Amino acid sequence: MTVLDNTATTPQPATQAATVEFRRLRREFGPTVALAGLDLTVRPGELLALLGPSGCGKTTALRMLAGFEHPDSGEVLVDGEDVTRVPAHRRDAGMVFQSYSLFPHLDALDNVAFGLRMRKVRTAQRRSRAAELLDLVGLADKGARFPHQLSGGQQQRVALARALALRPRVLLLDEPLSALDAKVRLTLREEIRRLQQELGITTLFVTHDQEEALSMADRVAVMHAGRLEQCAAPAELYGRPATAFVAGFVGTTSRIPGRLDGGTVDVLGRRLPVDGRIPAVTEVDVLVRPEAVQVRAADDGDARVVATSFLGAAVRVTVRLADGAEIKADLPAHETAGLTAGAAVDVSLPDRPVLVTERTS
Amino acid sequence: MARLNLWRWAVLGLAGLYFLVPLAASVVFTVDVPGQGVTLDAYTQIFSTGGFGSSPLLSLELAAVTVAVVLLLMVPAMVALRLGSPRLRPVVEVVCSLPLVVPPIAFVAGIGTVLKWGPEQLSRTPLFQTFVAIQNPDFPVVLVLAYVVMALPFVYRALDAGLRSVDVGTLVEAARSCGAGWPQALIRAVLPNLRGALLNASFLTLALVLGEFTVAQLLGFQPFAVWIVNVSGSQAQLSVAVSVLSLLVTWALLLVLAGFGGRTRPTPRG
Amino acid sequence: MTSVAVRADTAPAAGLQRRRRSLGWLAVVPLLAFTALAFGLPAMAMLDGAFTVRDPATGATSYTAGNLTASLRGAYLTALLGSVKLSAVSAGLGALLGLPLAQAVVTSRHRALREAVLTASGVLANFGGVPLAFAFVATLGNAGVLTRQFGLTDQGWDLYSFWGLVVVYLYFLLPLMVLTITPALEGLRSQWREAAQNNGATPAQYWRHVALPVLLPSLLGGLVLLFGSAFAAYATAAAMVGSSIPLVTLQIADALSGNVLVGQENVALALSLDMVLVAGLVMAVYLPLQRRSARWLA
Repeated sequence: MTVLDNTATTPQPATQAATVEFRRLRREFGPTVALAGLDLTVRPGELLALLGPSGCGKTTALRMLAGFEHPDSGEVLVDGEDVTRVPAHRRDAGMVFQSYSLFPHLDALDNVAFGLRMRKVRTAQRRSRAAELLDLVGLADKGARFPHQLSGGQQQRVALARALALRPRVLLLDEPLSALDAKVRLTLREEIRRLQQELGITTLFVTHDQEEALSMADRVAVMHAGRLEQCAAPAELYGRPATAFVAGFVGTTSRIPGRLDGGTVDVLGRRLPVDGRIPAVTEVDVLVRPEAVQVRAADDGDARVVATSFLGAAVRVTVRLADGAEIKADLPAHETAGLTAGAAVDVSLPDRPVLVTERTS
Repeated sequence: MARLNLWRWAVLGLAGLYFLVPLAASVVFTVDVPGQGVTLDAYTQIFSTGGFGSSPLLSLELAAVTVAVVLLLMVPAMVALRLGSPRLRPVVEVVCSLPLVVPPIAFVAGIGTVLKWGPEQLSRTPLFQTFVAIQNPDFPVVLVLAYVVMALPFVYRALDAGLRSVDVGTLVEAARSCGAGWPQALIRAVLPNLRGALLNASFLTLALVLGEFTVAQLLGFQPFAVWIVNVSGSQAQLSVAVSVLSLLVTWALLLVLAGFGGRTRPTPRG
Repeated sequence: MTSVAVRADTAPAAGLQRRRRSLGWLAVVPLLAFTALAFGLPAMAMLDGAFTVRDPATGATSYTAGNLTASLRGAYLTALLGSVKLSAVSAGLGALLGLPLAQAVVTSRHRALREAVLTASGVLANFGGVPLAFAFVATLGNAGVLTRQFGLTDQGWDLYSFWGLVVVYLYFLLPLMVLTITPALEGLRSQWREAAQNNGATPAQYWRHVALPVLLPSLLGGLVLLFGSAFAAYATAAAMVGSSIPLVTLQIADALSGNVLVGQENVALALSLDMVLVAGLVMAVYLPLQRRSARWLA
């Protein structure tokens, strides 16, 4: 279970963590554009999460690095070397698939040793290396089990060990946790992260689960319609989303109508500085996170509580403003007394720069 | 990619040739008689040959009765096994697979032995009359008994596959909670969902009975397949013509059946 | 499997369950009674007869292993071995040729073609027999269309020979192989190919170390099934060759028609028992293979 305790096996850090670059990658499948010119650089030794809704091209990008897909144009570079034409079996990138990728006729040990067998490594040597890797993922005693005798989480651990067996320069994870149940998902994601940091291996992690991406990755690249929207550290991505799409996709965001005036915006009766790009129109929406919204019971307030839902430490209050816009606010549970549906409230924002976008509705 | 496609089309082309040429050649054989040129004599002759009419009819009757009997025996049993009594399931599975272990010719050898007991040991008992009755050449019930047994493995597989995709327990409970009685629940809720499986089972049984030769010939009856061989002695063209016709008729029947069931794919996985 | 057992914790449900159980028995009894009569009786008769001889003089019967020994001697043994050889060769060829055919069908992107081939396979695999024999007589027989067209007889071709029968048998064995192996080929996951490549395997290494081992139970299962099907076939051979090729099914038919030596009347039953033993062996090999394959490819 605990990877860090397994100091006996001393996983050798990758000799030299690799840099991965995607350059102007384009790929079309018939009428659908999977990648519309993707530019992205993965720094040596970092865990970069590719996050986006299904069909945004994140898996296509990963599969291009593995060599299973080929770009219509553009190139993939590893340590500055163009690998676009290198066949998949010589790519030097270990991949963990979504599920069911273990060879059903081999036990866990032979699954991990498969790549070494392809490289004609001697039996004794490859078995000891495979045992070492199984130990690393906490399955030292399960080497003789066949895939159908392992749980989903154990199968993915074996797959991880197999992906690391050839000491790849890059580790690729294609939604490796999405087929597991919630609890296993949490423990395995911590373990993958620890292992990755220990080995210092450059890692690409494809996921559609924002919580997974934000909690594991050094940086998160949000993709949308085959393009990169923003690539930044989790805190920056959440706190300063570069685009309206990122703001909407990562975390919860409410839109409040406002009026742009130079570098400031009039919203909820205050004038706040604008952060980031300033649109060329005056009618805008201000994007706010639920924890930034303040809601106070006020008999003279012109906003009404529509619904409340209990989240544990906080209560999410949905409020309809006088002009019909609905916004969500997260309040500490003790502040929500009296905020039942229909209650009159007053809504305000803190005096901080805000993100604005052209009004869509 | 192109190389892969070439390979695929070569394989499919060769297979197509192997499977279509004998059919095409049969047609050519019947209409192009050496020394006579193209003639349809072989086909017109069929109608004047003794036994034409009665033999195909007998085969169809046997097929219809066999399908009815095998479904009446198997459907209630299989549905009941899904609803309860799981301990009986392996028993039924083994019973339905046993006929696979006894080839038709061995089976008919056993049937022949049993039928011989009739005159030898039972001639003074009422059972003797039963033995005579089931061997009535106009409608040999003994053939139905044999065909039902031979169809059991296929019908079992087809129904089992169908039942796997339907949660019979929930269906029945839902129907019962809507106020349906047991028979109604089965007929209105379960059977419609098994339509594909029922058609599949009928399809396989029909193909089996229409083409069956071994048991019928060795017990001395003359359904269609036996009749073709018997008339072949006199004229090669004639028997091939009848074969061609029988293939066409059978396929037409199967197509009609497939048409009823939408997408029907007979897969005897075993 | 059924959700029934889980919900049996309340009193009415328990009553329902009891009701269902008795219903189960009621529905299964006719089936069991029928098979006992229509299958059990002939099977017992065959087993009993295989070990019985009747003294022609007194009419008294006695138990003996003589029939079985006779069935494994002389012409009977030749026929048994002939059947085994014919079945083994045609099953081997059927499996060998059926695999690429099935692979071509499975990897085809034309859905209609796939459905057509699979439906046709279902018909052809089940519908061998007499019409098949005559179709080949018309095509490759002595006066067959192809035989005359290409003068095959002068080149040594004879449909009524061992290899002639193999060619005919493949007509229903190939579709049977396609039907048996198609689910296995469809069960080969693309992740396995990619995972193998990702671990440095060339396409050839993928087939050698992953695809073929995974398919092996299904391949062997198909082979065994084809063998059993060819071994039991009678109609095609009877309609085509009479008894010019020694086959056990033809011998049994011959013996059943009374064409036997005095005192060996029951040798047909002994031969039948031999066949049942071979077929039983086939099933005993096939079922575990099938089970393993189902577990891997589920």
